[in-house]
Amino acid sequence: MNDSDETKFDEKLSRLAATLPTQVSPDRDLWPAIEQAINTRTNTIWNTPWAQAAAVVLLVAGSSGITYVAVRDDGPVSPVVIDTANVFETVSGDFGRRYTLGNEYLDAHSELQNKLDEKLQFLSPEAREAVTKNLQTIRAAIKDINQALAAEPDNMLLQELLLSAYHGEISLMRKVDGIANSAMRRNDI
Amino acid sequence: MDAILATGTQGMTRERMLVTQQISSEAALVERAQRADSAAFEALYRMHIDKVYGLCLRMTGNAAEAEDCAQDAFIQAWNKLDKFRGDSAFGTWMHRVAVNTVLGRMRKSKREHDRIQAVSDVMNAPDSIGDSSSIQDLEEAINNLPRGARHVFVLHAVYGYSHDETGGMLGIAAGTSKAQLHRAKRLLVQLLDKDE
Repeated sequence: MNDSDETKFDEKLSRLAATLPTQVSPDRDLWPAIEQAINTRTNTIWNTPWAQAAAVVLLVAGSSGITYVAVRDDGPVSPVVIDTANVFETVSGDFGRRYTLGNEYLDAHSELQNKLDEKLQFLSPEAREAVTKNLQTIRAAIKDINQALAAEPDNMLLQELLLSAYHGEISLMRKVDGIANSAMRRNDI
Repeated sequence: MDAILATGTQGMTRERMLVTQQISSEAALVERAQRADSAAFEALYRMHIDKVYGLCLRMTGNAAEAEDCAQDAFIQAWNKLDKFRGDSAFGTWMHRVAVNTVLGRMRKSKREHDRIQAVSDVMNAPDSIGDSSSIQDLEEAINNLPRGARHVFVLHAVYGYSHDETGGMLGIAAGTSKAQLHRAKRLLVQLLDKDE
């Protein structure tokens, strides 16, 4: 091919290429699949990295804070009568839309709740306040996660967060039970 | 001020006004989509799917693969919407996302290797291109180009991107883009002549 032929070919090719349609409709509507994909990935407050980190920090810091405040030796502790019914709101047994909490868990939770109501009287005002605040925070989180799970029942992260929050709640209640027993023993001595 | 606006509006052609309206409505849709409004994103999808699918089809040379690429490109775009600053038109940005999606998928595809082998078997170059070459022949020939040459040819010759822009999209130097275009043309001569 000489230079002249090559130039002619280039021109013809360029002309033909420029006439090729740049917009082509796909045979099927791709939107339903895209919509499904983006809806399952839509960021909620609970699956953003900072929210996950915050949830973990909340649980760890909450239980550590309770332990610190409660085990401090603040001298004799006087029993105080408090209206626990107004302090704690009973957590619903939801576990997303598809799940329910087992009877075993609900029984244990109920038993711990009763013990907590009793044992709170033996804690110092500071410890009581800390326990109350942290339990309220965890229970508010449980409520929020349950609501989010109702919208996204298949979201594994939400399920894990919810499970973790339930564990955190039980762990905190058990801790308070143990600490109150310990405080009573110290007082007895 | 109103008089200036009125004069400006009168001076503006109907086509320009429509384009301006489209750009401003597109910007509003992008803004809403960035706030996770999927209905706004669907509207953007409807506006751009044909361009994105067309690009994917030309780059992959396969309708089913192009559908998957276009679908992935819009999902990628949704996930990266917060990175879209409006420096370029949404359609241009979407093209870039689509090109990246195609390249990403092709890196994983073994079929592409087979395609390159098939094209490298074409040995003898003819002296000229026949007059009977039609658009259909060209489409088929482009589909048979090896990946690098095809991508450059599609972006530069079909979609009109400069070598700098083509190189930027494909992650290659502008000089490489020129070389690939030259290679694409040489191969197209061979492929088109073989078809005759």
